[in-house]
Amino acid sequence: MSNRIATAMVSSSTLNDINSALSALQRSSNELSSGRTILQPSDNPYGASHAIDLQSQLDGLGAYATNVQDAISWENAAGGAMTNMSSVVQRVRELLVQASNGTFSQSSLNSIATEVAQLTETIKQDANTQYAGQYVFAGTLTTTRPYQPGAEDEYQGNVASISRAIGPGASVTINTDISSLLGNGSGAKDGKLLDTLRTISEHLLSGTPEGRAALNTTDLKAIDASLETLTQLQATAGSMTNQLQAASSRIEDLETSIAKTLSNTQDADIAKTTIAFSNQQAAYEAALRAGASIVQESLLNFLR
Amino acid sequence: MSIPTLQGLQTALSGLLAQQQAIDVAGHNIANANTEGYSRERAVMRANRPLVIPAMSMLTGKGGQLGTGVNVETYTRIRNEYLDAQFRTQNSALSGSAAEAEELQQAQAAFNEPSSSGIASQLSKFWAAWSSLANSPTSEAAKQGVVAAGEQLASTLKQVSAQLETISTQANQQYASLTGPAGEVQNYANQIAQLNGQIKLAEEAGQKPNDMLDRRDLLLDKLSSLAQITVNQQPNGTDTVSFGDATKPLIEGTTVNWPQTLTAAAGGQLGALLGLTGPTGALASYQTTLDAVAENLAGSVNELHTSTPFFSGSTAATLAVAVTPAEVQTSSTEAPGGNDVAQAIAALRGGSADQGYSALIERVGDDVKTAQDEQANDQTTVTAIGNQRMSVSGVSLDEEMTNLISFQRAYQASARTMTAMDSMLDTLILHTGTVGL
Repeated sequence: MSNRIATAMVSSSTLNDINSALSALQRSSNELSSGRTILQPSDNPYGASHAIDLQSQLDGLGAYATNVQDAISWENAAGGAMTNMSSVVQRVRELLVQASNGTFSQSSLNSIATEVAQLTETIKQDANTQYAGQYVFAGTLTTTRPYQPGAEDEYQGNVASISRAIGPGASVTINTDISSLLGNGSGAKDGKLLDTLRTISEHLLSGTPEGRAALNTTDLKAIDASLETLTQLQATAGSMTNQLQAASSRIEDLETSIAKTLSNTQDADIAKTTIAFSNQQAAYEAALRAGASIVQESLLNFLR
Repeated sequence: MSIPTLQGLQTALSGLLAQQQAIDVAGHNIANANTEGYSRERAVMRANRPLVIPAMSMLTGKGGQLGTGVNVETYTRIRNEYLDAQFRTQNSALSGSAAEAEELQQAQAAFNEPSSSGIASQLSKFWAAWSSLANSPTSEAAKQGVVAAGEQLASTLKQVSAQLETISTQANQQYASLTGPAGEVQNYANQIAQLNGQIKLAEEAGQKPNDMLDRRDLLLDKLSSLAQITVNQQPNGTDTVSFGDATKPLIEGTTVNWPQTLTAAAGGQLGALLGLTGPTGALASYQTTLDAVAENLAGSVNELHTSTPFFSGSTAATLAVAVTPAEVQTSSTEAPGGNDVAQAIAALRGGSADQGYSALIERVGDDVKTAQDEQANDQTTVTAIGNQRMSVSGVSLDEEMTNLISFQRAYQASARTMTAMDSMLDTLILHTGTVGL
């Protein structure tokens, strides 16, 4: 600026200064009231786009966390059912051992057979366990009951697997193929648990020495084999649950770290902004004060 | 030749008249202290032609040149035309970057990011809906959720696209109204051409039409905010004005050549509007990118949703959900518990549609920031040049008061000189040669 100052320059430059002080003040006040440094993409173009990506990642992690919780609940339902099955099979095995020691009368054997038949129904009921309206042991035919109650033992589901995404590109199979344990019953003669149970009932009711003999040999062996299979299925389900729990804590860690990055990108540093705000307030007041006294002064004040 | 008896009175009179005119000029300056575009004026005083006293007579001794007072030669306006040219160039740049920043800010506002209702958040909700569906593939509510999220996303895309279109249309309308028959270009040009005529007449009569010149300069300043202008002063006092990149000068003497065709290279507000709304302009490119995001979204979802296309349309404005909740496909098999399709679509999160959109937001933000920075820089330059110009041409009341005092005192002194002359003449005429009468 050159030496000569026209009167209008004083007021216009004072006004400019007051305006720019006020606009800085308004900016800080916006940041404080919204808690954000990025109010529009132009405030920090890279930061704004980064924040959008981070927010989407965070939402995605939220979805994975939901998936994992859902899968864990599913596994819990299936696991509970398999634990029940296991105790039922254990009970059958006990009965079998009792029945085969040869001291029982036929009527006692008959009542054992009745209990075995009830336990068979119990196992089928466990196989029909539902989680959130879906049959957990029916493969992907989740609306179909895997085993009909009563005499019909054929598996109604399929062997397809159901999975849950637990991370980008990572998914786990959550369902257990129960038909590998239970099979299709005596009609199929597949030697699986339901077939075995039906055979045991037959042998108990038969009253023949061959029938009794089979209880101790082939039937006990078949029950042991089924227990083995069941234990394996339970182990697989258990390791799945462990995997899911690990995924859950990994997702939580990631959520924390991404949320922190997001906050660093878009949130206002309240302490820093508050100090800036006070400074700007002081500057604005000074500009107003200076304006008020400078604009009033004139040679006219001093002439007669 | 001796000194005329009444010469002293004439000299004093010339002083009275000149000082009075100077006071009038100071009054004019003070009255216009706040007039936009006014240049301060000065009464340029010059000593009158002296009276030559020859060295012949006993009375006059050696002779010499006797001053005969003062006259006001002209009223001049104090102005630096070089600063005017600089100011106008920067003013064009400023109003160009201001128009650009304003339009781009509107576009930025149309995207409404970052917020919980913008496209980014709708995309995220859409993917989350598919993820929920993958968890409960038989749930009607989850299918409803997917369709609802899809419709919300499509309608947000449509809205943003429509807003971009509106901004573009409004910019075009603004251009049309500025350049139209009742627009500012025509209006300023007509006034300048008329002033050209009046200034020419005044100059031919040997007058300095200061206030008309000021008005013409002010109009040229205003014209420079519309497009880049070049002013050529003609010897007859008229200004020939070329405007933007129009082929013919906008104003030649009293002739106005308008309408003419401009391009984005015209500079100023008009150039910026043409640049933004043109086929290669920022608004069109945002629209294209948004369409690409929509097309990408529809393409990638439809590719996985093989039973029937999930989305119809391939631009942001035409995108729509084409399925009912019952038609939402969760699995590639008939099995109700299958969720491979839902999972695959949920896994599109963070894919090319999301990336394309966040890159677009970064670009919009960048463009706005650049335009705002440019505007701030131009504003600083214009203010600096404006201040320099004001420093030369602006009225300083302190200065005028000082001048007023000195002119007033000089006037009083001239009057006192006249009184002294009068009393001399009184002695000469009334009291000389009266001895013995």
